[in-house]
Amino acid sequence: MNKLLILPVALACTGAIASSNIPITGSVESKCVIQTDTDGVYGNPTADKLSTAANDGGVVPRIRYDIVTANAYKAVISYPNSFSTSPTLTDSVAWTGGVTYDTGSDSGMSAFETNKISYNNSVEFPLSIAGSAFFKVTSTAEYGYGTAFPAGTYSAMVTAECIAQ
Amino acid sequence: MRLSIILFLIGLGGYISAHQFTPTYPELSLSYVKGIYKADMLLFNNRKEISYYSIGVFDKDWKPVKFATENRIVKMEHLERKTITVYIRKEDKDKALYICSKSKTLVDYAQTSIVTSRICSKIK
Repeated sequence: MNKLLILPVALACTGAIASSNIPITGSVESKCVIQTDTDGVYGNPTADKLSTAANDGGVVPRIRYDIVTANAYKAVISYPNSFSTSPTLTDSVAWTGGVTYDTGSDSGMSAFETNKISYNNSVEFPLSIAGSAFFKVTSTAEYGYGTAFPAGTYSAMVTAECIAQ
Repeated sequence: MRLSIILFLIGLGGYISAHQFTPTYPELSLSYVKGIYKADMLLFNNRKEISYYSIGVFDKDWKPVKFATENRIVKMEHLERKTITVYIRKEDKDKALYICSKSKTLVDYAQTSIVTSRICSKIK
């Protein structure tokens, strides 16, 4: 008798478990995400020059910024002005470079390029439109006066910053 | 607008190798120690080539402000998410404006161009 009473209750419970929902929660909040889209490579077109330009055999580094809220952040991107690793250099190195807005998820983002502010080896972009924006960084290092760079591995740092406003 | 951003991100392939540091505008609250305030920050490492991040606190002129945290150099595995609690003294509370995380690159990481990422949140 008792078993017959328990059975419908047990079946009801099984049904409840089978139909239970597992929630997935998430939130979208203001944030800045910095992504290395393309790693840069220096080409060595002449003995005294290292360059990321494609026609010099290099690869231009590309950085992506993902912004959820407009006007919450500014991007500050700096091109290199020294090597982080290199063979011993006895002569001076002349550094040049630049940062340009490449493409983005919103056509209005082309304004990033017109509104950019350059100082020293840094370029500042006010991130006034939400979405994803890509920036290209060019870098050239010229050694001494027609002096050949010593053989070895050279690396230099690009700094990509996202600063809350 | 947010939906279009999410769709754009999905359209790009769904894989994001990135550095995140949130919230954008952290608030300082009293810690369990008298006269010490704290802010809880969330660091997410989706950069495969990066294993360490440094934490820093700065004033409006980007001068360092004294702070304490469990580790100033944080070891992060790829795809790891970590809560970083930053402690600031009461006398530095009004001076501190930015809390930043910066990727650290190992010297033996031999690549011709390396991107260092730094994200700074602004204290409310």
